[in-house]
Amino acid sequence: MSRRLVGSVAATLVMVLAAGCGGSSGADGKIELSLGLFSDFGYDKLIEEYMASHSNIKIEQRKVKMEQHNTQLATQLAGGRGAADIVALEEGVVSQFRASKDKFVNLAEHGAKDLKSQWVDWKWNQGTTDGGEFVLGLGTDMGSLGICYRRDLFEAAGLATDREAVAKLWPTWEDYAKVADQFTAKTPNVKFVDTGRNVYKAILDQTEEGYFAKDDSYIAEKNAKVKAAFDMAAALGTKKQTGALEPFSQDWNVALKQGSFATTTCPAWSLALIKAGAGDAAAGKWDVTTAPGGGGNWGGSFLAIPKQSKHPKEAYELAKWLTAPEQQKRIFKETGNLPSQPKVYGDAEVQTFVNDYFNKAPVGKIFASSAESLKPTYRGTKDSKVGPVFGTALTRVEQGKQSAADAWTQALKEATDAAK
Amino acid sequence: MTVTRTKAEAAPVASVPSSPEPKRLRLNRWDAKYTPYLVIAPFFVVFGIFGLYPLVHTAWVSLHDWQLIDGNQGFVGLANYAELFGDANFWNALFNTLSLFVLSTVPQLLAALGLAALLDRGLRGRAFWRAGVLLPNVISVAAVALVFAQFFGRDFGIVNFLLGLVGIDPIDWRAETWASHLAVSTMVMWRWTGYNALLYLAAMQSVPKDMYESATLDGASRWRMFWSITVPSIRPTILFTVVTSTIGGLQLFAEPALFDPGFAANNSTGGSDRQFQTLVLYMYEKGFRLFDAGYAATIAWMLFLVVLLVAIINFSLTRRIAGKG
Repeated sequence: MSRRLVGSVAATLVMVLAAGCGGSSGADGKIELSLGLFSDFGYDKLIEEYMASHSNIKIEQRKVKMEQHNTQLATQLAGGRGAADIVALEEGVVSQFRASKDKFVNLAEHGAKDLKSQWVDWKWNQGTTDGGEFVLGLGTDMGSLGICYRRDLFEAAGLATDREAVAKLWPTWEDYAKVADQFTAKTPNVKFVDTGRNVYKAILDQTEEGYFAKDDSYIAEKNAKVKAAFDMAAALGTKKQTGALEPFSQDWNVALKQGSFATTTCPAWSLALIKAGAGDAAAGKWDVTTAPGGGGNWGGSFLAIPKQSKHPKEAYELAKWLTAPEQQKRIFKETGNLPSQPKVYGDAEVQTFVNDYFNKAPVGKIFASSAESLKPTYRGTKDSKVGPVFGTALTRVEQGKQSAADAWTQALKEATDAAK
Repeated sequence: MTVTRTKAEAAPVASVPSSPEPKRLRLNRWDAKYTPYLVIAPFFVVFGIFGLYPLVHTAWVSLHDWQLIDGNQGFVGLANYAELFGDANFWNALFNTLSLFVLSTVPQLLAALGLAALLDRGLRGRAFWRAGVLLPNVISVAAVALVFAQFFGRDFGIVNFLLGLVGIDPIDWRAETWASHLAVSTMVMWRWTGYNALLYLAAMQSVPKDMYESATLDGASRWRMFWSITVPSIRPTILFTVVTSTIGGLQLFAEPALFDPGFAANNSTGGSDRQFQTLVLYMYEKGFRLFDAGYAATIAWMLFLVVLLVAIINFSLTRRIAGKG
């Protein structure tokens, strides 16, 4: 009995050890490609079609939550194994991954540079490095930026409600702040905007250089535009005109449902989140108009290929196909993800697209023109380390924990540490 | 079983010197000697792979400038540790960890003790109550955090609503240090009190009943019996729960992480001014958001030492207190 036990223990051990090593090549001789994504890229149908037309290729989608996706990818790149053949990189972290470009395939080697003209310039540039010589990723969607506002709350505050008229209220962010004052004077119990953080982000994203100069040197402490954006957002917080909410959190959803804030900076992809949070009862109450200061972008992604992929050539072909204009247009029609290619967003179908929930706003046109007029910020390699520091500083102001000046001093110190 | 039988059989044979040992018996002896080791070996092999190796490797990483993706950037000796000792955020995280630990563990174990004593009495529907106290523990921590985060909502939370009924102004639970610690501790207590109560209950049931009977005859009160008989009798279990709660409490991560709405957006620092950032949260921030694996490894090792230290202190303290009876 005991000998049998020893045997089975040994067998278990072998099994435990063997379980650690799995194979990845297809049993039926097909090339297996995996796609590492977060949220909904709208690829389900496209992938089926691609497999039908490419009988030697089998594609598997892996979808996880975004924050999990990023940390997972980082560890997989570090470990040299486990990453998907094609991975999605979100705009906010692309600069961070750009710093580790040697872990990725330079898509220029596969001829990606020929595709450059498909995308709006800044989108293409975000996905490249080394002065455009290294192509890290091919652009998928973009966020663009508008302002969503509650028509009924604007009316109650005696403000214009028509989206063209509202756009005229705030050609600049200074005007936006003035509207906030008017709004608060009339309806003091409703917050004008959900969070000062996103106002800050939107303003800063309209400057050509933010925390880092184009040579990647750290300039936050001497860039007057950073301070100006911070002061503008902090003033909203000091005057208690913001809801001090974390966007897309539970509290934010509840606030939407309760109608406790009147405006929010909204990229194209957030329309669905606002609709889900505010619910059917608020249908037609929300509307979309242009952002102050001339355009903007928040979010959108890229498809990149880790160097550890066994089939970089096939992966590139697939990524190229998925990001091609025809496919971007189909994805827009199915999911509403905004295309990042002028040919597609200039298309009549996108331009005439209206969103019923948002009072039939012509969102295709609004977001396309916002993306068109955007002069994007240069994002430094350490941008994603530095940026959040200023966000939490604004939260401290909104919470009443610190004065704007103290919050700024602390943020600057933390940012300088983070940029080291 | 095998062991005792083999000994009994082997003894007389061994006393006859000239006769060669039968093969079967020799095997048996080998069996007796080594089987126990073989049987526990898998644990140590698995521990070696998944416990010891990461521990040693983490120590190795902590001596380097190590970026999560790009790997080793060169040996820096104890520079990471030197930086850590001068890092105000580290001390803040250590303070938060200890504060949350004390706030959640002490009331939790006392409540568990009381709960166990109640369950130990002849209640109607005993099985129901006993299963009931374990329920909070089997519910996933994410679900618990989700619900509690809503309870402690600033604008529309039920806790603030109830406080409002007795005339207390709404509290911004995430903004204030003490308020956030209280909220997170409540979450931890909710999850673990029942679990510890069941452990205590199991131990209490093995306390001989005649001890209580004679104490009753001597005219001892229930309170006196509880502290003089029950608590000293279940001392080993109390020691066990104190040590496991210490280890668990100091490694607090999920509750404070999910209490921070920024966590999902990957910009969590455990509150706007790190009010409830624990050591593990700080380690997560450094390692997985800022990709500084070397520094994160340094935090991990300091955490290991802190846990060890506090566990030893708690162990000896509890042994002394519970031993006095």
